[in-house]
Amino acid sequence: MNSTIRSLAFGLTPAVMLIVGCGPTPPAFFRPNMVEAISPTPEKDSISADQALLPAQQQQVATIMLAMFGTPDDPVCLPETGLDPAKLRLAAGPVRSDIVGRKNGLYREHCVHCHGITGDGLGPTAAFLNPYPRDYRPGVFKYKSTERSDKPTHADLVRILHKGIPGTSMPSFALLSPIEVDALVEYVTYLSIRGETELALMRQFFELDDEDEGKLPETQEFLIAEVLEPIAEKWAVAADAEIEVPEMPTGIELAESIAKGRELFFGDKANCVKCHGVTALGDGQANDYDDWSKNIVKIEARLSGLAKSDADAAERQWAAEFGQVLSGDALKPRTIPPRNLRHGIYRGGRRPLDLYYRIHAGINGAPMPAAKGTVDPEDIWHIVNYVRSLPYGLDGELGADRTMAMRPPTPAGLASTEED
Amino acid sequence: MKRLGGIFWGLLFLAVPVLGVATFAIAPSIDVWLPKDVSVHGREIDALFYFILALTGVVFIATELLLFWFIWKYDAAARGDEKATYIQGSHTLEVVWTIVPAATLLFLAIYQMNAWANVKMRRPDMPPTVEVVARQFEWRLRYPGRDGMLGTPDDLHLVNDLHLPVDEDILVQLKSMDVLHSFFLPNLRIKQDAVPGMKIPVWFKATETGSWDIVCAELCGWGHYKMKGRVTFVSRPEFDSWLVRKYAEQEATQPAPEPSGTLVTN
Repeated sequence: MNSTIRSLAFGLTPAVMLIVGCGPTPPAFFRPNMVEAISPTPEKDSISADQALLPAQQQQVATIMLAMFGTPDDPVCLPETGLDPAKLRLAAGPVRSDIVGRKNGLYREHCVHCHGITGDGLGPTAAFLNPYPRDYRPGVFKYKSTERSDKPTHADLVRILHKGIPGTSMPSFALLSPIEVDALVEYVTYLSIRGETELALMRQFFELDDEDEGKLPETQEFLIAEVLEPIAEKWAVAADAEIEVPEMPTGIELAESIAKGRELFFGDKANCVKCHGVTALGDGQANDYDDWSKNIVKIEARLSGLAKSDADAAERQWAAEFGQVLSGDALKPRTIPPRNLRHGIYRGGRRPLDLYYRIHAGINGAPMPAAKGTVDPEDIWHIVNYVRSLPYGLDGELGADRTMAMRPPTPAGLASTEED
Repeated sequence: MKRLGGIFWGLLFLAVPVLGVATFAIAPSIDVWLPKDVSVHGREIDALFYFILALTGVVFIATELLLFWFIWKYDAAARGDEKATYIQGSHTLEVVWTIVPAATLLFLAIYQMNAWANVKMRRPDMPPTVEVVARQFEWRLRYPGRDGMLGTPDDLHLVNDLHLPVDEDILVQLKSMDVLHSFFLPNLRIKQDAVPGMKIPVWFKATETGSWDIVCAELCGWGHYKMKGRVTFVSRPEFDSWLVRKYAEQEATQPAPEPSGTLVTN
């Protein structure tokens, strides 16, 4: 009898385990931006204990955020954000199929393990990547067709999803359907607007009067008109703010254009050589940071300064607390090396147009400055041609070492059939 | 009641060949069988597969039935206190069950040589049609341009969406940018590891137009599951015009008008 029971138990246990599973997972939530909550001021090198939000204030921010943006499973889409709720629904929530069998929860299927459920770039795989995945919350995007400080257009983000970002861990999602890509871009925009709103709310505490008693007014009018709308507005206008690109100069041989570009590269105005180096290997300087890493570096310097100084007990206590927050809510800052232009790997796209945008507007968040205003548009095209010739040069001098004819409008092998 | 243990184990062992055969019997009808073959050399590979499946299938069923039979017949509970017979073993039997599998394996080794040579050794004498560079976690593609050479300024760079002409010999130059990957085209019966530091030629010829999966068949990291591409076979003229179009997109100096239908809001 005993052996029978044992036999049955032996056979049935795995089956029972398969059926029952491991129990429900807790609902997902957006993590508060703790680094900013404890030092919401933009000047990170002079942060101090008295600037940190009080627990009650943090709670107020969390409550307002919940009302304005909902949760990852159930996002709220206020009309003032300009976002499409249907698209958000497709991207938000756990991965599942809807009533017509369409895949929902796309963000959590494709993006979350790097970019995190909050879009803070702190997903479980983030720490293993170099460069780190983008934190959407500051609303700063690097590769776009708009001026440096402007938001990217919807099409810019679609493009990033299609092409991926070569040279980083961002892969291509070219095989997703246009509807899915569209939904993901909308959701990234939502996370970004959400993050910016959270930060704006935190900074609002510094503009309070004494009579506010340390609390933000909770009228919807104030929250939407003063905080949300200016942010949503920046996203809304991006579509019409694409950089005007002049035609590439045509009356000039490519080799001549490259030579001109080279002069500009080494010249005082464009001065690309300062960072990208005389060999264009990206070795001109190696100690600069992205803006967000710069913030962490400043905070770390300030905290270690406080630890050494004879600051009062409260300051020390705060510094220790902040140290704890940093270790959980920020990745160890890394320098951002200037691009090695001889690899032929272009993160923001390899079209001449992409390179024009990069040089014209610089790279938002990165040390790459805008050439707009200092370099003529036509000269930017010459630099583009020079940069595009660099991967193929062998002597470190003029990029085009082998004879380079004007690039044909069609690629070939195949062209033979067309020409005949 | 005592007998129940023996019956349970006997039936459990009998369930293995029954369910095993049933799985293979229903697999094709629920679409978990071999994916559709669209390659020239695939027929030979599939024939080998079926041949080996039949061979091992017969041995599998025979062995499993024997196991069941022994458990059933020699169940201690049913046979009471009867003592087991001591035997020395059978020299003849051992020689037979060593030589027969050895001869079978040797036969297979020789029989499959032609198929192996077709896929891995008889490389067509031609420059690469395309270079595929595996990377965590995507397939980067590079087509030679007008000069027919890779690594020149007129190369076409794409990702994940491989297009190739149908009914033509294709030579892929396979590389890896980081770790081991495996370039797997199930519908073309092609699977080749991509090894960092090596340029590995892979060749095939498709017989049908259409789109098929490219998957990574070597665990390459946490994103291995998402390393999926697509190969599309089109006619030569279509392929040529596709190349021209993609190259024009790559060389764009002005923003393209937004493709209609894909980016409309609402």
